[in-house]
Amino acid sequence: MAGKGESGFRAVLTEVGEIAEFTGRFFRNAFHPRFEWRELIRQCTVNGALTFPLVGITAFIMGLVLTVQSRPTLARFGAESMLPAMVAISMVREIAPVITALICAGKIGSSMGAELGSMRVTEQIDAMEVSGTNPFRYLAVTRIWSIILMLPVLVVLADGISIWASWIGVNLRDTVSWELFYRQVFDSLEYSDLIPAFIKSFFFGLAIGVVGCYKGFTTKKGTEGVGRSAHSAVVVASLLIFILDLLVVQITDLLGFT
Amino acid sequence: MADPYPPGQPNAAAERVIRIQDLHLSFGSNHVIRGFSLDLHRGENVMVLGRSGSGKSVLIKCIVRLLRPDSGRIEVLGQDMLALDQDALDHLRVKIGFLFQSSALYDSMTVQENLEFPLRRHWIATTPGEADALVGEVLAAVGLSETRNLYPSELSGGMKRRIGLARTLILKPEIVLYDEPTTGLDPITGKEIVELILDLQRRYNTSSIIISHDLHVAKLAANRIAVLHGGRNYLEGTYEELRRSEDELMKRFFVFM
Repeated sequence: MAGKGESGFRAVLTEVGEIAEFTGRFFRNAFHPRFEWRELIRQCTVNGALTFPLVGITAFIMGLVLTVQSRPTLARFGAESMLPAMVAISMVREIAPVITALICAGKIGSSMGAELGSMRVTEQIDAMEVSGTNPFRYLAVTRIWSIILMLPVLVVLADGISIWASWIGVNLRDTVSWELFYRQVFDSLEYSDLIPAFIKSFFFGLAIGVVGCYKGFTTKKGTEGVGRSAHSAVVVASLLIFILDLLVVQITDLLGFT
Repeated sequence: MADPYPPGQPNAAAERVIRIQDLHLSFGSNHVIRGFSLDLHRGENVMVLGRSGSGKSVLIKCIVRLLRPDSGRIEVLGQDMLALDQDALDHLRVKIGFLFQSSALYDSMTVQENLEFPLRRHWIATTPGEADALVGEVLAAVGLSETRNLYPSELSGGMKRRIGLARTLILKPEIVLYDEPTTGLDPITGKEIVELILDLQRRYNTSSIIISHDLHVAKLAANRIAVLHGGRNYLEGTYEELRRSEDELMKRFFVFM
């Protein structure tokens, strides 16, 4: 049993090393002069525009639910007027970036793992390589860049939608004008709330893209391997999102962004 | 048009386009290639014959550096494949066609898009009209002009192989590497593919290495045959020379011929 545990631990360490190497390879190729702009735009459309409905619906529900569920507790302390500020800070600092990243890990990370994995086992990546097209630059770099660029945009949209949903939630019981609600939200938000959240969404995007592409590129064992790549891309990316979130919280705390 | 290089006549005077010297490759403790050497000359069809699992596909993947050998030297069109940087390698790979056993067509693209992909990547066709004309030309060459808008999943095995060949040839490579071109096809379609390979070789003046265990392919297409056995170039000769050989392995190979 000890031997099995040891080999499992070694496999985890090996995978961590390979993902780090894959990340390094991404940065070495990320600014190559012959950049695949067309493919990047296509991937941004696929990963950004087509994920927006799912992110939008989730953000709307999160904003509404958080408002409805927080109101009784705040009312008990006579702090109902703090509701817009509380919802806005919670959503902007934590909930919107993490939930959006987890949705993207599930939707985009798994599709990267499955699509590239399928291309790997059917030799399509090899075919691309032997025809003189660098598959890492064409397939991986564009996909990773697209999620790095699109995730912050989706997070900002999720922020906006959840705050709008919160206003609707408030108006289910009371009548508050949008102008007043909006002013209360923006009076409570500071740059120290927005900037770390915005920056960490870039890192979440990097984690999702690198893990999805790494899993796809290293797929083995046919269709079973494709399924495993899709599944493990989501699991590993989700775990990395939480680890990165924890690190960002610690770093921003140390830098005084609290 | 006369065959520039009729079967059975190795042409040592012709320019050498591929030179493989003392190639070694292991996967863990499995030493697959053990000092394999081979030359390919311009206009020549060399077949690498070997049993299943003898390392034929590994060898052909080493030539285009899909796999990196442990040691040895591979020269393609005068360039050391193992010393090239990525950009130089990508540039050289355009001159080497590779037909995969599985055809490896991009399954999310139509036939037209599959064929246009390498053209767009290498700026060979800059306008849709040019790309369309080149796609039409290679589709006509493989006899599948009507398949432009079909997806790979809508094609039969033989059709996929033909489209794979068309995609290989659209860049007009100087060398074509065929990995088991007839495996999995019925004998009639297999023979059609071999005839197509020979026809395209004459038309595009390519040199080829054909990986196969199919002796019918050897008989029809190979000017010279190298037998890969024990990881080495075990024996080399024309089809007739090998068929008449007293070597035990060759007798076993030709038992049904």
